[in-house]
Amino acid sequence: MEEVKCYMPETLEEALEIKSRVNAIVLAGGSDLMVSNKRTIGLTPVFDRPVMIVRNLPELKKIYINDKGECCIGSGCTSAEIAASKLCPWHLRQAANRMGAIGLRNSATIGGNIANASPKGDTPGPLYLLDARVKLQSIHGTREVPVADFIVKFKTIDLHEDEMITEVIVPYSEKDFDYVFWHKVGTRKANAISKITVSMALKFNADDTVKDFRLSATATGSKTNRSRDVENIIIGKKISTELIEEVVQAYDKVISPRAMPEFRREATRRMIRRFFGECARHAEGKVIETYDGYRMPGAIEL
Amino acid sequence: MISEDMTRDISRAMRRLDAVDKSEGRSKYVSDYDFEDCLWARMVRSGISRGKIKNIKLPELPEGYYWVSYKDIPEGGHNYLHMIATDWKCFADDHVLYVGETIGLIVGPDKTKVEDLRDQIEIEYEEQESANTIDEGIACKGGAFINDNNIHCHLKLETGENVDHVFKRCDKVVEETIETGYQEHVYLETNGACCIPENGTYTIYASAQCPFYIRKSIAPVLNIDPEKIVVRQTVTGGAFGGKEHFPDVLCGPLLLAAYKTGKGVKMFFDREEDIENSVKRHPSKVVFRTGLDKDGNILAMDSKVYYNVGAYLASSYVVLQRGCFHVTGCYEFPNMRTEGFGVATNNFPSCAFRGFGAPQTLFAIETHMCHLAEMYGIDPLEYKSRYFIKQGDNTSTNGKVVEKVMIPEMLEQVLTASDYRRKAGEYAYGSGKGIGIAFYNHGGAFTGNGEQAIIKAKCRMHKYPDGTVEILNSQTEMGQGFHTIIPKIAAHVLGIPVDKIIYKDPDTSRVPDSGPTAASRSTMIVGRLVEKAALQVKERWNEEEFEVETHYEHPDGYPWDQSTFQGYAYLGYGWGVCVVEVEVDPCTGEVTTKGIWSSHDGGHLIDELIVHGQVNGGVLQGIGWASTEVMQNVKGHFKQTSMSDYIVPTSMDYPKQECFFVENPYEWGPFGAKGLGELVFNGSGAAYIDALSRAIGKRISSIPCPTEQVMLYMLEGKDIEEAL
Repeated sequence: MEEVKCYMPETLEEALEIKSRVNAIVLAGGSDLMVSNKRTIGLTPVFDRPVMIVRNLPELKKIYINDKGECCIGSGCTSAEIAASKLCPWHLRQAANRMGAIGLRNSATIGGNIANASPKGDTPGPLYLLDARVKLQSIHGTREVPVADFIVKFKTIDLHEDEMITEVIVPYSEKDFDYVFWHKVGTRKANAISKITVSMALKFNADDTVKDFRLSATATGSKTNRSRDVENIIIGKKISTELIEEVVQAYDKVISPRAMPEFRREATRRMIRRFFGECARHAEGKVIETYDGYRMPGAIEL
Repeated sequence: MISEDMTRDISRAMRRLDAVDKSEGRSKYVSDYDFEDCLWARMVRSGISRGKIKNIKLPELPEGYYWVSYKDIPEGGHNYLHMIATDWKCFADDHVLYVGETIGLIVGPDKTKVEDLRDQIEIEYEEQESANTIDEGIACKGGAFINDNNIHCHLKLETGENVDHVFKRCDKVVEETIETGYQEHVYLETNGACCIPENGTYTIYASAQCPFYIRKSIAPVLNIDPEKIVVRQTVTGGAFGGKEHFPDVLCGPLLLAAYKTGKGVKMFFDREEDIENSVKRHPSKVVFRTGLDKDGNILAMDSKVYYNVGAYLASSYVVLQRGCFHVTGCYEFPNMRTEGFGVATNNFPSCAFRGFGAPQTLFAIETHMCHLAEMYGIDPLEYKSRYFIKQGDNTSTNGKVVEKVMIPEMLEQVLTASDYRRKAGEYAYGSGKGIGIAFYNHGGAFTGNGEQAIIKAKCRMHKYPDGTVEILNSQTEMGQGFHTIIPKIAAHVLGIPVDKIIYKDPDTSRVPDSGPTAASRSTMIVGRLVEKAALQVKERWNEEEFEVETHYEHPDGYPWDQSTFQGYAYLGYGWGVCVVEVEVDPCTGEVTTKGIWSSHDGGHLIDELIVHGQVNGGVLQGIGWASTEVMQNVKGHFKQTSMSDYIVPTSMDYPKQECFFVENPYEWGPFGAKGLGELVFNGSGAAYIDALSRAIGKRISSIPCPTEQVMLYMLEGKDIEEAL
């Protein structure tokens, strides 16, 4: 077996320079790559390309609010760091805080979670919902792409050979909405992969019509699903039973779960109905739960 | 130094003797041993469920690398492993019967090279149609491969009148099928073993429950005297039955590899390999036909018990027997007929798992009783309590219950603590809230006179001149706490500090065979032998150095006929009551467990803390089996192969449990103790499903029942009160 060539740059500049020469696999936390390439116990994982470890690049570890008020998160920030940062939007913090187990959250990064492009990934749901973009850098320049476009389909991303994901920019947060909803149906209450996760947010106009409504769902198709067309059904209108059903039915056509389709479809329908129902009656508090008295394990307070 | 205050009741907790070594990482597990010049082995297995091996294409093997297969078995040697039956092949020959069947070992000095060579092996098969489910096995899909009906084993039990005659006088006879699925043991330490040859003898180091089983099982491969094989148990990180017979499947091939190469050979499974290629709990299907009078009273019950045994029988006949003996649960019914069928399928053979066949039938009877009650509009608790078995009542094998049954006392404890009566009345069916209850037992030790007739357990105790005492028997510590309670028992009898007592992990060349560490027998049987030995040592304490040996003796007056399965199957049962309360998310079907209350009768407890560990773990393992632990088998392949898709519960999934016990000393156990390790698994699943089915108002007759299944029941399940 050939040995794996491994690069460990110390600056982003150096990393991009290496990337311009070598089509290296970028490894940050390693929580996906080390698992998918592992061999049996005691043996080193095998990679078919050189590996570049970027976990300690200081340029990728920042979280800040830019001059447009958008939350900027370095691609090397771990789930634990995101969950703990009050600068990060609530939906994203929730998702980060319920990803895997503590050990994983301390190593897995947001850049890696996006690049892995798994339909069950935890962070894409909130990122789609909040119109997040990824910043892609190479020695030739920088471009920004919406996360929803960057993830092309199952395990496929729009990344050029010489590029790296360096930042995730999230323009919206819970402050822009009157009601928010995030619910992950995990395989169990901790250390769980998503069976389905639904993120929602809604803002009213002064006249009780809907100013903004957003909805995304993970693990319901080959990638995270969001549809502005479906959301537009109710935007500008007052919530009514008929409109709710219209949204529910329209969204049902957007998602395409393969495994456990009845469950995933029905749970999605029920969560949408519940959310609108609570918004319509102007429930107290901003966070809507799936039922009264429910306490989500590991929930992040607003 | 660990001190134990001998004036206190033995039940009071002491610190476990292995606690510090294990928590500081000093315990040496089998993969921690470093033997000089030892080769690595990797297993090559069948990738298909049934078929003929047409060709095995091996890569060119560099010097020092070997391929080991059945062809290497020396003349006079046998290609089988002697478990209880002798049908499990050490290596497949020209046919394979299940995915994962051992075909050969690739052996060599460099681990990576061994792995690379293994990746290059190509096996060509002529695939045949396989039978993988109980129904396919019975239907002989692909043609029978065991007898002419794919039935590995069968038994029949009857009590009272012929049920067919009774059915004729019944108001109605209802039929219901209850099914349970596979369960994986998920011991923390995966399987591993090592075999070191030396002058015609072989030393096995293994993570295992039963060192003497390994010796007996693998000796036929080389056709040598079992004494020529020494088995040393290494610190074992969990087993749950998964290391009762299964280590033989590693050790047999390793023995042959050591014989062929003349060198030590070791093999460790990684987690996915272990889950994909190891034994599991038997999936089951129990079909009840129950005859009732017009008020819903049970007049007769006919039950057919089917277990998915897999390709080889191994220990499954005994598992099936225990299953059939426990099908009446904690009840006495007037007329019973029970038939058990061990169904052959082209799946990985099923084997021992905490409960050993009893949990499946106990789940079935508890669930069936709930459904009968609900159909008549009676609270399940009220209905079940009409049939509680008592001391002196008839058992499923026409024996009597010897001991006092304290179910009424235990019931009161859990009803009060859980507020069951109020909640059962308040939570309407389908309201999203539910509370459920289950009753269960577990016959301690080997069935009938098996301890006397088959095992013949022996225990020795050696007093040294310096006043230390060594306990010698073959019982293993695997996390359950046995190597703490045995020195504790001896210390209490002898009145000496626990640290004056030596009790090592067994080595078959040093200790007598006191039987397997299985069947909830260790405390009640071997613990008693240790207690007796300690009494003898105490009497002769002034002698400088000596050894005593104690033998198991079966109490007179409790006959058992193993050929007809008639008589006293068990002298001491553990008994249990469990209440579970749940809440169901109406949007998603997710279940939140709000409370778990249990009471167990394990006789007089030897160590409360260890017993709490057993209860907490066993009860949750039982709920896991009933809820999230989905293990599907598709054409012989287990589908869930990692910790992220085989969903064992975490401590976040359940609230703190409340456990209760009753004081009911067992006449023939040490300090009045009896078996408990399996009991605690046997009923929580049924209590959970009872609670869940009330919460959603739907009848659940099959487990596991994960979130997505709860949703399907909510959408299209049968109403709980619907007639069967």
